[in-house]
Amino acid sequence: MRLSRGEGPWPWLAAGSVALSLLLLAALLTLLAGRGLAHFWPAEVVQVELDDGSRFAARPGREERSAEGVERLYHTGNREWLGTPWRWVEVARIVEQQRPAELVVIERRRWGDFIGRVAGLEEDGEALVLEDDAAQWAALNARLARLEALRAARDALRQDEVMPRVRELGAARDAASRARLEGELATANAEILALQAQMARDRVLLESVDGERLALPLEDILAIQRPNDMRLPAKLGAWGTGVWRFLSEGPRAANTAGGVWPAIFGTVLLVLLMSALVAPFGVLAAIYLNEIAHQGRLTRLVRISVRNLAGVPSIVYGVFGLGVFVYGIGGSLDEWFFSDQLPSPTFGTGGLLWASLTLALLTLPVVIVATEEGLARIPDHQREGALALGATRLETLRRVVVPMALPAMLTGMILAVARAAGEVAPLMLVGVAKLAPQVPLDAEFPFLHLERKFMHLGYHIFDVGFHSGDVEAALPLVYATALLLVLVILLLNLTAILLRHHLKARHGALPR
Amino acid sequence: MTDSATTSRRFRQRLRLFRDRLATGVISACGIGVIGAVLAIGVFLAVEVAPLFVAPEVREQPTSSDALPPLASLPTDTLSAAGEQQQWQADGRELVVFQRTASGLQLSGRVEAVPPSRRVTALVALEGGRALLVGDDGGGVQRWVTVADQAVPAPTGHYQTIGELPIRQLIALPGRQALAVNEANRLGLYQAIGGLRWQGQAPAGEALGWDDQGHLWWGTPDAASRLEIDAEHAEVSWRSLWLPQHYEGHAVPQQRWQTSVSDSQDEPRYGLAPLAWGTLKAAAYALLVAIPLALGAAVHTACFMSAGLRARIKPTLELMEALPGVVLGFIAGLVLAPWVERHLPGVLALLLVLPLGMLAGGSLWTRLSPRLRQRLPLSWAGLWLIPWLALLAALALWLSPSLERWWFDGDMRTWLEIQLGLDYASRNAMIVGLAMGLAVMPTIYALAEDALSGVPKSLAEGAAAMGATRWQALWKVVLPAASPGVFAALMIGAGRAVGETMIVLMATGNTAVMTASPFDGLRSLSANIAIELPEAALGGTHYRLLFLSALLLFVFTFSVNTLAEVVRGRLRRRYQRLGGPT
Repeated sequence: MRLSRGEGPWPWLAAGSVALSLLLLAALLTLLAGRGLAHFWPAEVVQVELDDGSRFAARPGREERSAEGVERLYHTGNREWLGTPWRWVEVARIVEQQRPAELVVIERRRWGDFIGRVAGLEEDGEALVLEDDAAQWAALNARLARLEALRAARDALRQDEVMPRVRELGAARDAASRARLEGELATANAEILALQAQMARDRVLLESVDGERLALPLEDILAIQRPNDMRLPAKLGAWGTGVWRFLSEGPRAANTAGGVWPAIFGTVLLVLLMSALVAPFGVLAAIYLNEIAHQGRLTRLVRISVRNLAGVPSIVYGVFGLGVFVYGIGGSLDEWFFSDQLPSPTFGTGGLLWASLTLALLTLPVVIVATEEGLARIPDHQREGALALGATRLETLRRVVVPMALPAMLTGMILAVARAAGEVAPLMLVGVAKLAPQVPLDAEFPFLHLERKFMHLGYHIFDVGFHSGDVEAALPLVYATALLLVLVILLLNLTAILLRHHLKARHGALPR
Repeated sequence: MTDSATTSRRFRQRLRLFRDRLATGVISACGIGVIGAVLAIGVFLAVEVAPLFVAPEVREQPTSSDALPPLASLPTDTLSAAGEQQQWQADGRELVVFQRTASGLQLSGRVEAVPPSRRVTALVALEGGRALLVGDDGGGVQRWVTVADQAVPAPTGHYQTIGELPIRQLIALPGRQALAVNEANRLGLYQAIGGLRWQGQAPAGEALGWDDQGHLWWGTPDAASRLEIDAEHAEVSWRSLWLPQHYEGHAVPQQRWQTSVSDSQDEPRYGLAPLAWGTLKAAAYALLVAIPLALGAAVHTACFMSAGLRARIKPTLELMEALPGVVLGFIAGLVLAPWVERHLPGVLALLLVLPLGMLAGGSLWTRLSPRLRQRLPLSWAGLWLIPWLALLAALALWLSPSLERWWFDGDMRTWLEIQLGLDYASRNAMIVGLAMGLAVMPTIYALAEDALSGVPKSLAEGAAAMGATRWQALWKVVLPAASPGVFAALMIGAGRAVGETMIVLMATGNTAVMTASPFDGLRSLSANIAIELPEAALGGTHYRLLFLSALLLFVFTFSVNTLAEVVRGRLRRRYQRLGGPT
């Protein structure tokens, strides 16, 4: 091998660019993965005593070096007493740190996290007598399990008894069946109320390390753990539960807590609708351009234009979507079919349909270009052979050309989906919402509500990161959401790359 | 028997042909429709924008005199006008200014309003009460604006006149417009920013007053007509969008984009220049980061890297293109910006240390023993330089606090502000440059690498045979041959940087300032659309101006991409001539 001693300094700068790019990419992905996944880990809780004698229990966070010394951020929870769940402490002021096993972290329905001790249990307002700490913890867990069972029973009752009757009542015409249904509804509601009364039976008495006390109904507990008392398997289990809850629950506390399920749902539904719109039209346009249109100067011009549209900024498509779909078509639809609801718009405002149409338009060039590439790669003698055997153009297309170009079309679709899943800017104009209480798909006719606003993972990142009141609390969730989005998109792109590789390998073997 | 078989076969044959023709028709219709719809984007945007540049017009709607509705009369005193805080009175060629205070009017100053030989003949306060129009006996019309903390208003430039005859009356209209009437009953429609937008002859008679629909009636009580004033976007002209304008409250003309005015009395400021500047500035800083990285990486991958490694590294770097802008923007705005703010000297040191470190790595490498050099060949340098660079970066960051103490008196931001007069905004152009550079880099890299590796091998081999080193062959032979492709790559990268929305939206403070400093914020056209369009009133001036921004972005990226595509096509043909791969 030739030694490149005399190459001079420049090749090293070039090599360094590759190294630097890879380094940046790795750093970015590590940051996302590390911060996104670490959020769900049940980190240990420290009881800290400061030099002035005051105490608090908290989860330690990052440190910052300033002119005064090193400061550490603690997540103390207990917002109702402390005002904010965060506290910066000078490390030099810390006298003592302990990790008592009995410290609990409770995720509550209101007021964020509680960090402190369990002081006792109450049943119907009367304190239970329990000999030691372990028994208390066991009793608390048993009661939480009971509550969970009650809750499941109540939800089942709602789902199976109440909801169908309410729907029937809406449809029922004659007085007899209405009376019967109303009677049945009343009994079901009474049962639910009884269950709820039982659910409200227990309360837990809590005490923070600086002596503040609080009685919390068990119902308000979303999750409870004693991280200092957990071993590795338990922690892994808690981590898995945390990830699952993030993926399957809706957001709480102005999007700064809870999960991203509606955003996942909205993103997937949006992308599916977009694919259903873009696939047939993109493929048809590509077939027209490559197989049917006269290959002249005009076709070449159109081809270049379509290719260039892939480089037009996505926000421009958003503006187009707002002007044409939302205000133009949507406004007219409202005037014709929903005039009784005006001036509150039905289709004349951003919604799922308009967003998916806009994204379809945005990704159309991608699909057309990819499909055309696949079509152009098919050797002409394949078509000529089919035609020579007496096939019509349609038969040639259906039996020979399209099957051979199928992988290319698939690649185009996957690339389109990957691009659409990451686009946020146009959606901000045509119908994404920061919080959509109803998902656009439900049991109510017509099941798929195209006019509804929806949540989106990408917009969720933007909104939670930049518009939430407590950025410190929101940041881990944003990391997790961003990681999720990146993973989905990388997965889609990898699929596309593998498909393309497979395609090249297959068609490279074709005789030319 | 045979007859019917033939008939049925012929029928089937015809059915096949019919189906074929039908399918062809359907595909053609769909194809043409889809392509037309996609291409319609530009046309639609232009159609929405066009009303902005329609010349304003005042039309006369004659009606019979008995249809004269009850009218609100116009102010009869044409020589005084009342503004929001001030009251003005014409006195010869001077303007007497009174300040409105709690105890009543208070004289605050006199100012010469017209040239020596002339005198003021008409005054009117414009909508909002912070500006007035002054008409004189030579036909001149000039706008004066109140200036914060000054006793007397300041004059703005002279408007175009409607004749030499004295201005008889000025009538204020909504939208900071006014109608000037001279002695010959000639009308001129003035707008505060737009100046004279229309002139023409008024019908006989005089202004009668306003009806309850806000229309101005003109004529004599016997023969009156209604004036249709069609000047919805009169403040917008191509000049007013791009040149500094004299807005209310300021002593000198300024370039401003300020539409979300908190106070309805405030004048909206529609200057596109700060936004265009922000767009180009963000793109320039992004390209400053992306171009060296992308071209360096492309050169290394195409000419130096081993083939096996290249097959893995190229897709990896191309995969970076798929990173969503919103994720990069989030990292830039919420993680990188605060971090850089705390470690500014370290980051600036990195910009210096990393390139030097690459060179130092190279020169160290030549001093290694040949066996070690065999182990760490240049063709794998893209990988084994990573730990070296990481080490250097960590070292630079670790040393930076001491550097800051020695050179910048312990606080670099204060030092910057005092020594260089640079203000440091937390989310600034440098952050955008870093984040968007990372977003644009893969695009440029992929296209430039394709162009470089597409150059027929015979060229480089010929150069090597003549004794050139690989770098010489690259610099003198391969790069010139591939230069159109590299140029196309840069153009497409620039197009992407100009249109990127989320990164700019999240990583800058979105302040519409026009400075070149890397430590200042900016507001780009695309981010501005994303912020303001959801709130803009349908069909208004603001709405149409945002469509104009979109049209500008569309035209810019479309033409840049077309240029790149044409250049690339030419390159492809050149390679074919040279006998390389197609």
